[in-house]
Amino acid sequence: MHCEMILDQYRERIPLFERIKDVVINTLKQKLSENNLFVNGLEGRIKTEASLTGKLELKGYKYRTIDDITDIVGVRIITYFCDEVDIISAIVEKTFEIDWENSVDKRKMLEIDRFGYMSLHYICRIPASLYNDPEMPMLNQVRFELQMRSILQHVWANMQHDIGYKSTVEIPVEHQRSLNRLAGILELADEQFSIIRKEINDYRRNVQSMVASGNFDEVPLNGDTFRSYCNLKPFKHLAYKITTINQAEMYEDSLMPYYNVLVHMGMKTIGDIERMRIESSDSAYQLALLQLAGTGLDIVAYSVTLQNLCIVHILKMGFGEAGLTRMFASLYGENDYNAQRASRIFKQAQKINII
Amino acid sequence: MEVTINKQDNKTLVSLNGRIDTSNVEKFQHDIEPLMQGDNPDIVLDCSNLTYTSSQGLRMFLMLQKSVLARSGKMVMTNMRPQVKEVFDITGFSNIITIL
Repeated sequence: MHCEMILDQYRERIPLFERIKDVVINTLKQKLSENNLFVNGLEGRIKTEASLTGKLELKGYKYRTIDDITDIVGVRIITYFCDEVDIISAIVEKTFEIDWENSVDKRKMLEIDRFGYMSLHYICRIPASLYNDPEMPMLNQVRFELQMRSILQHVWANMQHDIGYKSTVEIPVEHQRSLNRLAGILELADEQFSIIRKEINDYRRNVQSMVASGNFDEVPLNGDTFRSYCNLKPFKHLAYKITTINQAEMYEDSLMPYYNVLVHMGMKTIGDIERMRIESSDSAYQLALLQLAGTGLDIVAYSVTLQNLCIVHILKMGFGEAGLTRMFASLYGENDYNAQRASRIFKQAQKINII
Repeated sequence: MEVTINKQDNKTLVSLNGRIDTSNVEKFQHDIEPLMQGDNPDIVLDCSNLTYTSSQGLRMFLMLQKSVLARSGKMVMTNMRPQVKEVFDITGFSNIITIL
């Protein structure tokens, strides 16, 4: 009779629950976006009637009314890294009203020698200052559960659920020990992913400042340093000169496809690219002049700057047509046209005394 | 300049015939407009009969590629004659558009 009353209340409130779920998910999407946070998952659900019935059969004595059940609306955020759980929980605390008495940080509940389920569960309400609907006043009173966990914590929770790990009596000791070891590995991996990400971010910030400082010989050439160097627009003067040939428009495209070419050319530091820029810019411009003058082509890609610099550098280094063919193969894949193009450019380079 | 459009499976095959220059670029733009909408954005441009493109043509190809990429599609140009390919090479457009 008592449980029937709660189930009736549940059925009446389904539209309210749906609205709460939508408001919470939309709010979280907006907050995550505002804070440049990318998560693996943001999902919500309304507890099914079957699931609620099961809960009431087991623990119905604990609940006087449906208001005492706090997880009918459940929303879960799955982060990529465990340290993001704390960042997101701080945002959640600022956004929603938290029922601290009923919220649980399961990450802090474990004994020091135990591994296993770790997740942050907040019981919340939508504050009227965030969202309200005069036709649905209960919207700001009904509580919902918000779970926050990393993707590895999520993996563990799902595995645990599938294996039935919680019911320890059913699992022999040796298997429990294996599962505990696995949980420890996941926790360790979770922390290591966060640490590695932080180290990579620190490295990138350091690289940006090294590149910006202009000590190019001290900056090793890799994808990150090359990107930072490109952001300085090192070829803008050459680009400007090339556009003046036909009063052309410059189309800003990426130079990143040339990273592999530079590596194949034996460049080790950003300083090596700088030297090529300083030593070969005039010839690179002369090559563009020979190719573009009189064509009327009044649009050129920014990458034509590095393209011509690499061509000139390869020829000056004595790698000849074969070197150019290898450069084109690195950019566009192996094809017969690469050698034809290399041969044409080699003859043009001879005309303007690059070689 | 003639543009022939054929739908094939999930992609569109486009045959380009003639030259693209100031005299016909507006017609070319009109002809390729249908390619800038729809749910199957993948395009293969057969350039075996394309004899020349001016920079207006390059701009059209760039615009078409942007539209295709915005719909998560792919655009490739195939069978390009060497004299047309040279236009793409010296302007750096070979670095922007996939030419097979």
